[in-house]
Amino acid sequence: MRYIWSAAVVFLLSVSLRTTAQELYVFTEPASNMAAKSIGIRVTNEGLVNGGSMNRTIPELMLSFNKNLMTHVQGFFSDMDGKYRLEGGSVYAKYRFLSIDDTQKHFRAAAYGRLSTSKRPTYSEDINLEGDNSGAQGGIVVTQLLHKLALSANLAYTKSFESESRQQSGMPQPDQLISYSLSSGYLVLPVVYKNYNQPNFNVYFEMLGKTNPVNGRSYLDFAPAIQAIINSRTRIDLGYRFQVAGDMAGRYNKNMYLLRAEFNFFNVL
Amino acid sequence: MLFFALFISGTTFAQQITTAELQVNGLTCSMCSRATETSLKSLGFIETVTPDLNRNIFVLSFKADQTVDIDQIRDKVQDAGFSIGDLSATMTFKNTEIDAAGVAKMDGNVYQFVNAKSKTLDGPVTAQVIDKDFISSSAFKKKAAELNSATYLKGKGMIAGKEQRIFHLSI
Repeated sequence: MRYIWSAAVVFLLSVSLRTTAQELYVFTEPASNMAAKSIGIRVTNEGLVNGGSMNRTIPELMLSFNKNLMTHVQGFFSDMDGKYRLEGGSVYAKYRFLSIDDTQKHFRAAAYGRLSTSKRPTYSEDINLEGDNSGAQGGIVVTQLLHKLALSANLAYTKSFESESRQQSGMPQPDQLISYSLSSGYLVLPVVYKNYNQPNFNVYFEMLGKTNPVNGRSYLDFAPAIQAIINSRTRIDLGYRFQVAGDMAGRYNKNMYLLRAEFNFFNVL
Repeated sequence: MLFFALFISGTTFAQQITTAELQVNGLTCSMCSRATETSLKSLGFIETVTPDLNRNIFVLSFKADQTVDIDQIRDKVQDAGFSIGDLSATMTFKNTEIDAAGVAKMDGNVYQFVNAKSKTLDGPVTAQVIDKDFISSSAFKKKAAELNSATYLKGKGMIAGKEQRIFHLSI
């Protein structure tokens, strides 16, 4: 609980200081969807810097079927167990069930689910469905946009489906987690729009927490990021997440940088 | 084309609409605007889309030889993930009679004027479409309470024995 409270305090501070970008968050997804019948392609590289460096590459395809339903399909490649190899994949779907728009502001709510597989051995009770673990997740997200500021909150439940054979004896094992996050984003540039070719710069600050409901072990990460949007179509993200509090041993993404490129193709399906 | 032809008889304005100013709610980023513009441009009857990125307004011009379907404009904005806050169209009337109930018919379309009756319209008039999903939901609720009309709530009503799309306009 104390992580949730400390997260809430820092979040409110960051809001009052107006430090933050818009709603294309780097470490979480917003309640808003892509435009209907559009395709997005992402390539993400994660660098894990916990005593030695490891790299994970995530190619990702995003499809929006209509204004409310979209899906992401990801593959995970890493050198975390020696040779660089394909370690798993994930399917994510999000359904927007509430959308209230007004002039330069909106409120959206969505429900989402994720199914992941990974052939990595397990060493930690932390569950990361983007590469490290097999499992399922269900959650809800709400996003409020207020002109240049976007705020978002997530709450999800994650259950791992690990086979006995991949569990390392004597190490903590993944089972289930409650995850929660608060994200804020602020559009820094342009101050005044002239055309679509002007680059946009957004800054983000996210707080990402997880708690094991069985034993209460938790952690809280801070994740600042910057983002450039080029030609109103291509997005470049650079972020870093680091643990500020926690007692969950053996986490992989405790200190991690992320570099991502995303390309959007609107109205092509 | 067949699909398009089906629409012409039903829920369409004819080519008397030359331009429209469309204000989109919920937008603030240029990527969102570009997605909205791309969605709008997929409509065959739209000639040009000129965005004002700071005010979230798109000025639409229409092809002279094609029928403008206002409902499809709403659908395309919603497909992009947003909604219409205001749609004001410049319509060219040709000695069109508005009856005592504020109803006018032109080229198979039925218009219910909320602030005009018993008069003749001729020439270009700028009319705001005030139906559901053409104004903000709070503005629609307010209007619905004010007008107290089942036709307004549905955007449809009985005309000559059959249910038909009725556009509510404010001029």
